[in-house]
Amino acid sequence: MSEWFRVFKQGLSIENPLTVLMIGLCATLAVSTQFQNALFMGFAVIFVLTMSNVLVSVFRRLIPSEVRIPIFIVVIASFVTIVDLVMKAFVPSVYSVLGIWIPLIVVNCVILGRAEAFAYQNTVGLSAADGLGMGIGYSAVIVLLALIRELFGTGRIVWFDGVLFSLPAGYAPPSLLLLFPGAFLVFAFMIVGARWINERFEARKEAPACRP
Amino acid sequence: MKNALRLVIPVLVTCVVAAAGLALTYKVTEPKIAEQDRLAEERSLQAVLPDATFTCLESSRIQDDIDAAAGAVDVLDTFHAEIGGEHAGWAVKVASRGYGGPMVVVIGLDTSGSVSGVTILSHNETPGLGTKVITDEWFLEQFPTLEAGFTDADVRGLDAISGTTKSSNGVRNGVAAVGRVYTEVLSGLGEGGFE
Repeated sequence: MSEWFRVFKQGLSIENPLTVLMIGLCATLAVSTQFQNALFMGFAVIFVLTMSNVLVSVFRRLIPSEVRIPIFIVVIASFVTIVDLVMKAFVPSVYSVLGIWIPLIVVNCVILGRAEAFAYQNTVGLSAADGLGMGIGYSAVIVLLALIRELFGTGRIVWFDGVLFSLPAGYAPPSLLLLFPGAFLVFAFMIVGARWINERFEARKEAPACRP
Repeated sequence: MKNALRLVIPVLVTCVVAAAGLALTYKVTEPKIAEQDRLAEERSLQAVLPDATFTCLESSRIQDDIDAAAGAVDVLDTFHAEIGGEHAGWAVKVASRGYGGPMVVVIGLDTSGSVSGVTILSHNETPGLGTKVITDEWFLEQFPTLEAGFTDADVRGLDAISGTTKSSNGVRNGVAAVGRVYTEVLSGLGEGGFE
C-alpha cells in the first residue's frame, strides 16, 4: 500500500508530467485559456490515462514487445474515442470548444509515455496508481494554469453561462495572457514554483539523515 | 510463419475488442448526439430569425439551382421561415472552407433579402485564434448591415479579424454565397413556390 501511495504521489510531485517531465505540453498550453475547458480536459486525461495504464498492465505478458506500440495506440485511441462520444452527447458546450483537442489526446505523449515506461513493466495496482497520479498531476497543473490565465487575461472566471468570480471593474486585462506567449510565461513561473516546492520537500526528508 | 502469427494475433484481437467496445459506445451515445445536433441547429436558426418556424426546402430542382449559384461553397440546407403562417424569410446552412476544414455557418435573410443574422454552428478552427470569429462578437454583428441585394463586393467590404484571415474569409465566403443564392434563386420563388 505504501508503495502504491509512493507511485501515486510521484505523478503529483517529483515526476509531474507537465512541470517536471514536460511532456504533453502542446494541448496544455492551447486549452488552458479557460478554467472550465481545462477542468474537462483534465477529467478526460485522468480517465484515458488510468484506463489505458490498467489495460496495458493487465495484458502486458500477452503483448509481444515487437508490436507493443500499435497495440498501445489502439487501446488509447479507443478510450479517447469513448470520451469524445460521451462528451459530445452530454456536455456539447464544452465539446464545441475543446473540439480537436480531445481526439488529439491519442497522440499526447503523457499517455503513450506512461503505457510504455510504466504500465508495460509494472503490476496492475501500481499502474493504476501511476495513471491516477499522473492524471491528477496533469489536471492540477492545467487547471491552475487556466485559472491564472483566465482570471488575469479576461478579468473573470466563467462556468458555462454564469460568472464564478470577477475582478473589480477597473481592471484592464492584458490579452497577452490569453495568447500563446502568455501561456509560456505563466507556465515557466509554474515550473519554478514546482521546483521550489519539490526541493523544499526533499530537503526536509533528507535533513534528519544528515544530522547525527 | 509461426513467429508472424505470434505477432499478428495479439494485434488482431486488440483491434476486434476495441472495435466492439467502440460500436457499443456509439450505439448508446448516437441518439443523444443526434438530439444535441438537432438542438444546436434549432438554436442557431432561432438566433438568426427569432420566433420563426422553419421548414426545409426539399425540391431537388431548386437544390440544383442553389448549388450552381453558391459555387465553391456547399449549401447543406435551405429553410423557409414562417411567423404565424406568414412568410418571414429564409435561413441557409452552408459549409464554407475555413482554416481547419469546413465551417458550418447559418445565415438568416428577412423577406427583403437583407441579412438578419449569422451564426456559426460548427467548426474546427484553431482555439483562441480562429475561434475569434465567434468570441469577437463585433465580427458576426457586422453582417446584418448587409442590405437587400448585397453582392460579393459588399461582403468583401466588411472587416476581417487580423491574424484569423482564413477563418474570417470562411464566414465571409459563406455569406457571399448566400447572397448569390438569394439573388439568383430564392428571390424568384413566389409565395406559393415553397413546396
